[in-house]
Amino acid sequence: MDTEESTPLLVAESVTKVYRTGSQAVVALDGLSLTVGRGELVAVMGPSGSGKTTLLNCLSGLDDIDGGRVLVEGRDLFAMSDHERTAHRARSMGFVFQSFNLIPVLDAAENVELPLLLAGVPAHAARERALAMLAKVGLAGRAGHRPAELSGGEQQRVTIARALVAEPAVVWADEPTGNLDSAMAAQVMDLLHRLNEEEAQTIVLVTHDDDIGRSARRLVTMRDGRVIGDEVRSAVG
Amino acid sequence: MLDPLTLGLIVAVAAVLAFVAVLLGKAVLRRLAGRQLTRRPAETILVVLGSVLGTALIVASLAVGDSLDRSVRQTAYDVLGPVDESVRSATLEQGDEVAQRLAPLASDPRVDGLLTIRGDQAAAVRQGADGVVAEPRVLLWEVDFDAAAGFGAPDASGLDVADPGPGGVVINANLAGRLGAGPGDELVFHAYGQRIGATVTRVVPAEGLAGLGLGASANQDAFVSPGVLTAAAAAGGVQPTTTSLVSNAGGVESGAELTDEVSAAMADRLGPLTARGASVATPKQDVLDAAAETGESLGSLFLFIGSFCIIAGILLLVNVFVMLADERRGQLGILRAIGMRRRHVTGEFAIEGAVYALTSAVLGAAFGVLLGRVVVAIALRILNSYDQGGNQLRVAFEITPASLIGGAATGFLFAFLAVVLTSVRIARTNIIAAIRDLEPPVRPKTRTRLVVLSAVATVLLTAAAIPAVVASAATQTYLLPTLAAVAAVPMLSRLIGSRAALTVVALGVLAWGLLANTVRPDIYDEASTAPYVVLGCMLSFAAVTLVSLHQPVLLRPFRRLVERPTQRGLATRLAVAYPTAKRFRTGATLAMYSVVVLVIVLMTQIMTVIDRNMDQAVADATSGWSLRLDYNPTTPIANLGQELTTGPFAGRITDAAPLTIAVAEGDDPRLTTDVQLPVVAVGVPEDFTFTPPVLDARLARLPSDRAAWDLVRLDPAYVLVDTLYGSSGGPPGEPVAPGQGITLTDPRTGREVERTVAGVVRDGSPFYGVTGADLRFPVFMGIDSVVDTFGVAATQSSAMLRTAPGVDVPSLATQLQGVLVDHGVVATDLGAAVEQSYAANNQFFRLMQGYLALGLLVGITSLGVIMVRAVRERRRAIGVLRALGFQARTIRTAFLAESAFIAVEGVVIGSVLGVVITWLLYRNSAAFETISGPYPIAWGQILTLVAVTLVASAVATLAPAQRAARIRPAVAVRVRD
Repeated sequence: MDTEESTPLLVAESVTKVYRTGSQAVVALDGLSLTVGRGELVAVMGPSGSGKTTLLNCLSGLDDIDGGRVLVEGRDLFAMSDHERTAHRARSMGFVFQSFNLIPVLDAAENVELPLLLAGVPAHAARERALAMLAKVGLAGRAGHRPAELSGGEQQRVTIARALVAEPAVVWADEPTGNLDSAMAAQVMDLLHRLNEEEAQTIVLVTHDDDIGRSARRLVTMRDGRVIGDEVRSAVG
Repeated sequence: MLDPLTLGLIVAVAAVLAFVAVLLGKAVLRRLAGRQLTRRPAETILVVLGSVLGTALIVASLAVGDSLDRSVRQTAYDVLGPVDESVRSATLEQGDEVAQRLAPLASDPRVDGLLTIRGDQAAAVRQGADGVVAEPRVLLWEVDFDAAAGFGAPDASGLDVADPGPGGVVINANLAGRLGAGPGDELVFHAYGQRIGATVTRVVPAEGLAGLGLGASANQDAFVSPGVLTAAAAAGGVQPTTTSLVSNAGGVESGAELTDEVSAAMADRLGPLTARGASVATPKQDVLDAAAETGESLGSLFLFIGSFCIIAGILLLVNVFVMLADERRGQLGILRAIGMRRRHVTGEFAIEGAVYALTSAVLGAAFGVLLGRVVVAIALRILNSYDQGGNQLRVAFEITPASLIGGAATGFLFAFLAVVLTSVRIARTNIIAAIRDLEPPVRPKTRTRLVVLSAVATVLLTAAAIPAVVASAATQTYLLPTLAAVAAVPMLSRLIGSRAALTVVALGVLAWGLLANTVRPDIYDEASTAPYVVLGCMLSFAAVTLVSLHQPVLLRPFRRLVERPTQRGLATRLAVAYPTAKRFRTGATLAMYSVVVLVIVLMTQIMTVIDRNMDQAVADATSGWSLRLDYNPTTPIANLGQELTTGPFAGRITDAAPLTIAVAEGDDPRLTTDVQLPVVAVGVPEDFTFTPPVLDARLARLPSDRAAWDLVRLDPAYVLVDTLYGSSGGPPGEPVAPGQGITLTDPRTGREVERTVAGVVRDGSPFYGVTGADLRFPVFMGIDSVVDTFGVAATQSSAMLRTAPGVDVPSLATQLQGVLVDHGVVATDLGAAVEQSYAANNQFFRLMQGYLALGLLVGITSLGVIMVRAVRERRRAIGVLRALGFQARTIRTAFLAESAFIAVEGVVIGSVLGVVITWLLYRNSAAFETISGPYPIAWGQILTLVAVTLVASAVATLAPAQRAARIRPAVAVRVRD
């Protein structure tokens, strides 16, 4: 086992996040600690308001934290400036959101190639890789279509292609099947599992769907901003 | 009492408000509209501010017209005071008879003053410690001071002072200012070939009788005791002119209303004297009529300029509401899904629109009044700079209730209609597409009903266009073929697809707009601003449509920049992606910029072309004559030619041609007005025609300009007129054509004579002001013809002088005025006068450009509003981009670059069209046919305009760009408006 494999990809230590609205303060993450290894597919579950999405936002550096620290590939995310953190995110992370969140004025290929262009890949090479990734998610023929011209499932597959195209260290997925019907949801989850198993892609996904949660090798359960369960299973069905 | 148009506007506004009141009765609509209005107050304020400008420009334009009207009127009231009618008599005997015949009017209830005074033009000199100060144009009157004090009572006559007695003189403040004189100073007046010495006893304000003049608005008057002038004239072997003045009952303003009745009564009383030259003049009414025309004409000009800004304002409203609708698409879809009908959607927007429109109409009217004040002050300063001879207007700001109500109501209705028409389109949204944020379903092909309608409209409009184009009717020549082409779009879409159809139609409209004047060169002959508004709009809209449809093609040269895998390259990609995808809103913003910039560049280019031709213009106008001398007709210069070419002027003045002048009235052969035009008949001697002013047109049978001048000199049936004859500001339109008939009237006797126009002088500006008073259109004829037509009113009181090469003309002019002060000489440097006239024209162009800049401000405001809304609309997308690794500064740069991209495209479209249109005018219009040399382009000014617009657009976008850059990705990606 080499050094890279032995070092956890992500370490969150005593992370606290408080939302303040006027005089009210809501503790979204309450001293949460979590470690994610390379190649893991971690499902985060919990009731509504338990802090699942906040966990994803804070651990990915999309949102600030009020206490604790988050190490990604050994680097403290919140010791970085916004500029560094953004650059780090571009290099190491991919995102899949519930509402797809594609850029409406760019077509599928243009959306997918964005992370590559951010990483400095020349336009021609970026386009080739984007098209290859779209083919991988089964959308070879839809590259020139804008998001509004695609179905929900297709949009989500474009989002997954965009999240994976730059070969990030970790993909964060927030309710990736939340807006899809069951057939589409199954297709998307198959895709994520395949990527995890065949390409050892680290994926952290937030879901409230029991079936999806149980399909992951590791299931983290949250309540009131704390981890109340962290179950690793050898076999999943 | 309000005019029918204003009443109609009020009724329309009332109807709209009543309609909105009915809508307010529906609780759901009321609640929805109210919540939308208060949901984002800052954006509501921005929308209102944008629309305020549109209304303000309408109100300000109308206020300019009202104020110019009022300023001319006010000047008339100041100068004429209680004088409503007058009768001038050349002899003492006739003057006495006139006074006698009019005396019974003293008991007429319509008359409250009769006064007979005698006087003529004189020169005044003061020998002060600082040297001799002279004023060549003084009106010297002998007057019964007791009678003058009571003239027009109970209102002040303006001359309520004690008789200065023999050797004394009362002067008005204008003369005192010119001479630097005050009580106790000794003055010498030169009149009737005599020197009249007098001590100033009193200085009075130049108002009423004390400001009395014969057409000019700022007169230098002096008043002496009865008998002083009569004696001086007798000593000179002449008789002073007698003037009987009548004041109508009522005040200075209300008295004018009785003019028709009183002048008719006076004419009855004068009886046979009228035929002997003692006709009734109505100076106040004449000035008031002229004021109305001037006000209307200049008001229309500013409304024309303002119309481009108003169009920009309407586009802003449309744009804002289209964006609002896009933003609320999901909401609208849900509302429609739960049972809200289309008309309810329109109703909700109508309530919202009415609030925006009403607020902006009220605020816009208030701002328009302020703006109007500023424009009026500047416009009058420029107008006053056209003439230094005494026609100075006092700034009197006024806006009539009709203008204020009409302007505000027009602004309200434009805004409301823009909102309602936009909401009709919005209400047609597909419910499922709206809820699921999908593209609206595309119809497989255009509906048959629409195609049929399109075909019928195309045929009808084409049928209407053909006779209009054949007749070269300017507005219709542009408008009807354009409408026919636009009507054909649905039909063409069915055949070749909508993109191709729009491209073909836009290309066709663009080509027709640019080339119509080549096919129909007469369309610019119409003295109306409407064709220019239509032309500017059709060209801008066509060009913007083409650009919007083919952005990817236009951006191809920049592909390498856009595809660069850097933060800057990505910012550029985003900057062009949104405007390219959102074609309608981008197109509306581009149209806003381009339509205003087009007109600004057009004006800049016209000024540049004219400036380029300045030397030639001066040469054409003066035809080698350097100076014009105007002198007191009561002290003529004997042997003028010899006097001026010998002695101290020998070798410097090489030729002197005396002109015979008579004040007259003329009709307009083009029938653009039925008001009698102020004319000065100019009789030219033979030597003047050796190198005569250049003609723009002449009778076909005449082989040369010289032949035309010889014809009018020798044949009294013919005259020459100036190219600006009858123009009243704005596009001059078609000039009088050779061969047309013109009727000249002697205002003293009412005698009319018919003359034929033999030619049109290219630039008669050296002859405006020869009467020393008001601006009159020069009509050139032979000396004998002037004398025969106007009798004793024809005087030799001006001369054209040619100077030797290298002579310092301004210095010579000063010397002439000093040496010939006894004759009341005023020497005008013709080259400088022509240049000054051009400079004043340029200033006026600049003022109009400044006014147009307000339209640009609407465009820039619009861009700011659009970018503010864009930040909100793209919140989630920005969050995603930030999550993907876009730096905050990349987002900021993308927003700034996006606004710069739109602004540059709009400015470039407008600039290119402006330059091309002016080039076509330069090549084809008769107005520029005399200008030779390559077509000049005002690169400096155009690039400055581009730079200023870009900077202003960047400033307007800075705040939203910063806001976008600060969006936190974690929050944004979860937002769903």
